[in-house]
Amino acid sequence: MISRNLHNDLEGYAEIKEEIAVLKKYGTDFTLQKGEVARIINLHHPKKLSLRISQIIHETESTKTFRLVSSTRPLPPFQAGQYINLFVEVDGVRTSRPYSISSPPSQTAYYDITVRRVAEGFVSTYLLDEVKVGDIFQSTSPSGQFYHNPLFHGENLVFLAGGSGITPFMSMIREITDRGLNRQVQLIYGNRINDDIIFNKEMEERSACCDNVTVHSVLSEPADGYNGLSGFITAELIKERVGNLDDKMFYVCGPAAMYTFVLGELKKLGIPKRKIRMEVFGPPPDIKSQPGWPEDVSINDRFDVKMKGKTTIKAKAGEPLMNSLERAGIVVTASCRSGECSLCRTKLVSGKVFQPRGVKLRKSDRAFGYIHPCMAYPLENLEIII
Amino acid sequence: MSDYDVVVIGAGNGGLTSALSLAKNGLSVLMLERHNIPGGCATSFIRGRFEFEVALHQLSGLGTEEFPGPLRNTLGELGVMDKLEFVRMDNLYRLTMPGSLDICLKADRAEAIAALKEQFPEESSNIDRFFDLLYEYCTQWIHVTMLRDPKASKDKYPLYFKYALKSTQEVFDEFFQNPQLKTVIGVYWSYQGLPPSKVTFGDFAIILWAYIEFKPWHLKGGSQALSSTLLNTYLEAGGDVRFNCGAKKIMVSNGRVTGVITEEGDEISTDRVVSNAGTATTYVELIEPEHIPNQLLRELGTMTLGTSFVSIFMGFDQEPHQMGIDQTTNFITTSPDADHVWDRSKTLSTPEWLLFSCYDVDDPDFSPKGASQGSLVTISYAKPWLSVPPHQYHEIKYAYAQKMVDTLAGVFPAIKDHIEEIEVGTPLTHMRYLGHPGGSAYGFDRYAKDTEFFIESRSPIKGLYIAGAWPGMGGFQPSIQSGVTIAKSIQKSMETQGGERS
Repeated sequence: MISRNLHNDLEGYAEIKEEIAVLKKYGTDFTLQKGEVARIINLHHPKKLSLRISQIIHETESTKTFRLVSSTRPLPPFQAGQYINLFVEVDGVRTSRPYSISSPPSQTAYYDITVRRVAEGFVSTYLLDEVKVGDIFQSTSPSGQFYHNPLFHGENLVFLAGGSGITPFMSMIREITDRGLNRQVQLIYGNRINDDIIFNKEMEERSACCDNVTVHSVLSEPADGYNGLSGFITAELIKERVGNLDDKMFYVCGPAAMYTFVLGELKKLGIPKRKIRMEVFGPPPDIKSQPGWPEDVSINDRFDVKMKGKTTIKAKAGEPLMNSLERAGIVVTASCRSGECSLCRTKLVSGKVFQPRGVKLRKSDRAFGYIHPCMAYPLENLEIII
Repeated sequence: MSDYDVVVIGAGNGGLTSALSLAKNGLSVLMLERHNIPGGCATSFIRGRFEFEVALHQLSGLGTEEFPGPLRNTLGELGVMDKLEFVRMDNLYRLTMPGSLDICLKADRAEAIAALKEQFPEESSNIDRFFDLLYEYCTQWIHVTMLRDPKASKDKYPLYFKYALKSTQEVFDEFFQNPQLKTVIGVYWSYQGLPPSKVTFGDFAIILWAYIEFKPWHLKGGSQALSSTLLNTYLEAGGDVRFNCGAKKIMVSNGRVTGVITEEGDEISTDRVVSNAGTATTYVELIEPEHIPNQLLRELGTMTLGTSFVSIFMGFDQEPHQMGIDQTTNFITTSPDADHVWDRSKTLSTPEWLLFSCYDVDDPDFSPKGASQGSLVTISYAKPWLSVPPHQYHEIKYAYAQKMVDTLAGVFPAIKDHIEEIEVGTPLTHMRYLGHPGGSAYGFDRYAKDTEFFIESRSPIKGLYIAGAWPGMGGFQPSIQSGVTIAKSIQKSMETQGGERS
């Protein structure tokens, strides 16, 4: 900076001063824009949605679809395959679960989520047995990375689904057929028995009327007399059904065990990484069998978790830290509950946690001790900043 | 007695460096950050097996150990220099104008001049004269503004007084004939957001000169390594931080800051607030209008919201050289007319200017082995994006991004077969993450009228300081240094107040 009395010696200074004087009269009044940033962001991605159950649709013996309408503002847009994280309060514990939206994004009058009963499932049991039309829930805005990205996915898609993993694909197939999109879809859908197949009738109808969608149903434990495809989704079956594999993009969504199997099969077929899209799937069912789990820690060990400037709680080793926090009434922002979205990222000041493979930690998270409590299991007493 | 000597709103570059600088000097500081990590723009995110750098392309002002730049000194004073690992880039940039020009400039005066002369032999003497001016201007600038020569005058430093406020384009026109040559020399206008016809030579010259003299640098671990290191050092110095906790209001009484109310409703008393939330957000959203002097509103009204970006983050399943990428910093432009390029950036028409940074060229550890990543960016004002109906947003976003990818593939055809991840951020994305109106990354547009000669940087509200890109130049170096400057002025004011401490 030069002292102000020299400014006048700068060439062009006086003219710019005049320009400023004019602008001061006729410039922008920024105060009129108060609240505008929030308003625009809320059109696309509000932090929270308030949703009312307008309809409950019986899908199979163990599965229901909940139709959710907005009880306040219009629902934001989403991409077929994305999920919402639904907040619930069960037995006095506030928790949440991510559910893929099964309705198509071509309309946002409602979102459908389709929920299958999970054995001993804390939340699915509650949703299927207790929730009724008119109940109000909060959720996050739709998010997630499992959707068709036209910049590099191409038009030839192979969907590999297992059980309730069909839900994001249902949204995609509905969008493709409803809007007549130029995408070729082959769905290979694995289930245990015929009665487990969700959206069976609708998929048959859609594939019958639209040439670009083909459905291959595979049963692992078919009843006597069944003459369709049976077994698992193997390399041979994929090759035989799909034909030319070169120009295809493979999408995989299903239970944890299916990923290990199907990814192995795709590898056998020589499918490169860039041609495989995988949905995330939550904490593994048996954490101590994950590679890297220390032998000297039992899943029933309990540790102290101290929150800087707040209370100390007990947390079980065999359970994601987030669940223990929620049980103690501490709400952590969450969305994917699968270690991916980073919304729950928390600074670990001291102590050690186990984070299974696939948790998306950045270099700096590892270097500076940030963890994703939704997929972090305490192995020692901890101190965290929340 | 206040709860804290200083409350810092926002853990962006400017917030972090002011907080750290103050805490190191024994002040009690609370930093509020609405995200769960520090950094603001200086951050990264993960898709698949890639960790994408969000904002940092070429760190300026660092210099070498033998010839340190101002940033090296600042980071040294903050006690973080030896905790970070930097990689020097040899090149300023490669510029490709598909079908007509392809040139690479080294970050070295003689080599850059040689490359320019080879490409534009008929302008050899013009090129020499221009670089003489550039260096002589910057030398005079240092004497006047950095060394604060008390005898500074128009006679003693004629180039400074002649060129500081001149438009960059005027200077180009004075020295050069060939429009392509002007395009090549002027590429860094895009790091400032306004085309050469609108940015002062004073601003432009310093950037070009500083990149040549202090070299462009890459940071190992990306910009999040810097943010996290600053935060950790701040915590070690005894600073307090609250994450997931934005500020709702800065309380003001009789023209003085009295405290901050958090989004959770906590009231924190303090006499001093450093806001790293941006000038517009601070005055429009955080302070009640009755506390904003009319004069300040009129001054703000003369400014316009600066550019945002469309950023495409690409992960490849090959190494850069396998796809023909041999420079970190690649500019691609399909028009020699920067004014036209800039006009386009206010529409959703095909962008005619791109920056493609492939960090793995200079830092092979940046992406997983056998893979690499690129950040493909164009300047884009938020306005046309604001009128996109939400239900058409994704389609329009992809269509726009497709045009950028197609232009890039025109220069690097192999990339198309090796894309493993792509994420697209638009001005609306930046708006969501930064909270800035217009998704502005550099703050206000910086025309001549917005430079330090005309703008009062001190807030008329006592105890309020604004750190980051908004009050000055945009970018990493200015933001980092703004925090330190503010910390110094806070300490000075506290000393003169005779130890009025909590």
